Amino acid sequence: MYSTFQLYNHEVIETEEDALSKTFAALADPTRRAILARLAEGEASVKDLAAPFEMTQPAISKHLRVLERAGLIEQGRQAQWRPRRLRAGPLREISEWVNQYRRHWEESFERLDSYLRELNDKQEQGNGDDDDRDPNRPR
Amino acid sequence: METTMTETRIDRGSTNTTTIYSEGGDLVFERTFDAPREQVWKAFMDPDLVPRWWGPHGTTTKVAEMDVRPRGKWRYVSSAPDRDDVAFYGEYLEIDPPARFEWTFMFDVEGFGPQGGPETFLFEDLDGRTKVTSIGHMGSAEAIEGALASGMIAGAIGTWDRLEALLAEG
Repeated sequence: MYSTFQLYNHEVIETEEDALSKTFAALADPTRRAILARLAEGEASVKDLAAPFEMTQPAISKHLRVLERAGLIEQGRQAQWRPRRLRAGPLREISEWVNQYRRHWEESFERLDSYLRELNDKQEQGNGDDDDRDPNRPR
Repeated sequence: METTMTETRIDRGSTNTTTIYSEGGDLVFERTFDAPREQVWKAFMDPDLVPRWWGPHGTTTKVAEMDVRPRGKWRYVSSAPDRDDVAFYGEYLEIDPPARFEWTFMFDVEGFGPQGGPETFLFEDLDGRTKVTSIGHMGSAEAIEGALASGMIAGAIGTWDRLEALLAEG
């Protein structure tokens, strides 16, 4: 998702583009997502993959190369034809990771809210005249 | 919603308590808490308090390391009953109490190695309440689109078990 950074004297230097960024960039295109959904039904040739789109085979091949470099599909090894196959593992990893990242902050903030409420309830109970409490704070 | 969505800001599933949007290459979470800023800042910076709230529901966090100063390292280990422990780690970049800090947020993704990058946290005093903004710098709007689209793929494909069974058939 991010490019990987390294720190050196407070300068942020970008290292080689990390695999996850490439993978996400690959998914940013709706044609490529449609190709993946098709491959989820089973392997297919370039010709089969091009059929639903009004696109030439070279144009589809360009998309396939992006998906391959991103680690999302692979080529079969039959002598006569090279079907493309989905690599389910990487795709599942990144799909779950995005949901996890979102859940992380959304739910951490929920838990933080509960913790702060508990903390302030305790303070109100413990101190009848807490000088630090803001008199304007709504109850 | 307190935050206005503009042409460059895209809502990413805000709820009635938490605003979530992307803007360019940033993914942003905002929430306002009924607590003074010093208290909220402390919740982030005190190693005894971080485990009280950090991480999704159902997880437990241990602070393995937390050296709160520029270039200082941090490391939290998150446990959950249904998976192996996950370590989150990084370095503090800038610290400006109680208004702002920036750090790197890293974790290991199976098959992809260490992932992550800089995150900025802002703490704004709103008359005794505190608005916290967390900004994940994803690098590009394209990376965000693709990341979020990956969830759509999962939906289009259906259950992973079914897919794996299909692939196992050869």
